[in-house]
Amino acid sequence: MDRKKLTYWALGVGALLTTVGFLLAFLVASPTQMMRTTDSGKGAIIAGSYISHLIDYGQKIFFFHVPVAIASFLVFFFAAYFAVRFLMTRDRMYDTKARIAMEVTLIFTTLTMLTGDLWTRWAWGVWWTWEPRLTTYLIMLLLVIGYFVLRASVEDEEKRAVYAAAFSIIAFLDAPISFAITRIVPAGSEAHPVVIGVPGGLSGEQLAAFLLAMFGMLAFGYVIYQLRSREELAKERIEALKAALED
Amino acid sequence: MDAVTTEIFSQVAPALPYVIGVYAVLWIGLMVYVGLTLSRVGKLEKQLALVEEAFAKRG
Amino acid sequence: MAGTPTAAGIKRTSSWRQFKAILRKDIVMELRTFEMLTSMGLYTLLTLVIYQIALSQSGSAFDVRQIAAGLLWLAFVFTSMLGLNRSLVHEKDQGCLEALLLSPVDRPVIFFAKATGNLIFLLIVEVLTIPLFFGMFLTRPIVGDWWMIPIAMFVGAVGIAGVGTLLATISVNTRGRDFILAVLFIPIMFPLLLSVVGATSVVIYGPLDPGLFWRDIGLAAAYDAIMLLAAFGLYEFVISA
Repeated sequence: MDRKKLTYWALGVGALLTTVGFLLAFLVASPTQMMRTTDSGKGAIIAGSYISHLIDYGQKIFFFHVPVAIASFLVFFFAAYFAVRFLMTRDRMYDTKARIAMEVTLIFTTLTMLTGDLWTRWAWGVWWTWEPRLTTYLIMLLLVIGYFVLRASVEDEEKRAVYAAAFSIIAFLDAPISFAITRIVPAGSEAHPVVIGVPGGLSGEQLAAFLLAMFGMLAFGYVIYQLRSREELAKERIEALKAALED
Repeated sequence: MDAVTTEIFSQVAPALPYVIGVYAVLWIGLMVYVGLTLSRVGKLEKQLALVEEAFAKRG
Repeated sequence: MAGTPTAAGIKRTSSWRQFKAILRKDIVMELRTFEMLTSMGLYTLLTLVIYQIALSQSGSAFDVRQIAAGLLWLAFVFTSMLGLNRSLVHEKDQGCLEALLLSPVDRPVIFFAKATGNLIFLLIVEVLTIPLFFGMFLTRPIVGDWWMIPIAMFVGAVGIAGVGTLLATISVNTRGRDFILAVLFIPIMFPLLLSVVGATSVVIYGPLDPGLFWRDIGLAAAYDAIMLLAAFGLYEFVISA
């Protein structure tokens, strides 16, 4: 069972990468500075560089928030891909794959929202704000939830699979459009500091920590997907064998 | 540490709960889900083995 | 009906004629009873009444123009969901959809015909609603040129009709029809509504910047193009399920 070994290996890799990323992020990465300068305007030499702004420790959140966010979108892509394959081949296997991928998308999107919300609370003191990223991810969350609501409300198996596939494809197209439009349209009003990713450029250690966390997340995504696949497969075989036994 | 350095680091402690919170959410969330799924898979595969045995006996 | 004879000698009606036939059927059916238009119109009116309830406490200093664009589109969204649902429930319950599928009509044509029918009904309702809304709520003059509003209306309606037809065809086959339509419809429509409300708001409230208006219209049009293409491509699968 090569797949099994690969899954465990990926689990280990995921845990390792996120841990190392964590360590790097906190211990090695250069500190990011806030906009606020010190009251006196004077600075100090810290870790070899002159710093006169307050250190933004909350920025560390991005090392985890953005990787989950990117991972969730990537899995969403796979879900849509499986949906397309299903519509092309009408093979039930693809429908199952798509469903599991959407489950992983749901998990990661929820995690993205939770971590993003914690950052919002820290940075702006409120539990929710209609800033582009949170709004876009809320829409994505609603789309993924809608997918499962749709699946639950169709009884016929064939129809369920087709409708779910069609919706997930259109939902996947909608996500980046949402992303773009929520950034462009709500103009005027308040100049909300939109943080697209990690502000400014990433220093070497920061980038390393970020990438490690990123691949760690993807590995976790893969693990969850594989485990759920095995679960579904086992379920199906048990059903089939039970039915055969009854004959 | 002189006054300036203290000030520079003054925002670190308040941020700590949030940063830890984020990390906890991620880890706990993922671990719990992976753990639950793993245990479910384990049970199912044991059940599968039993059913397969029964099937093989029946022929 | 004369058509283009194929090599096999069978007269196949051209896509355009098929399109016209289906569209005409929908319009004629509606003209007989005016059922859909009256319910949509009434629904919009009722929504405006509810707006009054919501705004009743706001006092004279409150400038409705700030949220007028949003209110207008809100009314359309809910009315259009009603209309989309009804137009397809009718089809399904009367068995029209099955009959259509049995006939040698190209699937894409069905999509365009249905979407166009929905678009026409939507536009009619919009045309009726706008003056009503203006009369009831906009006591202060709008900032921009009035002719910009119908443009925004049209671009929005196209998107709503196109994607809405696909989603309604799906939702009408589920257990919780209207509810499912709402759950699917609103998140998908979100970017379109955002841009179209932005454009309308520029006209109603300002800042009067034509660049802003056309930028938002451009975004909405881009949404329409992409989503209509997707809906068109997916419709074939959805309707044959």
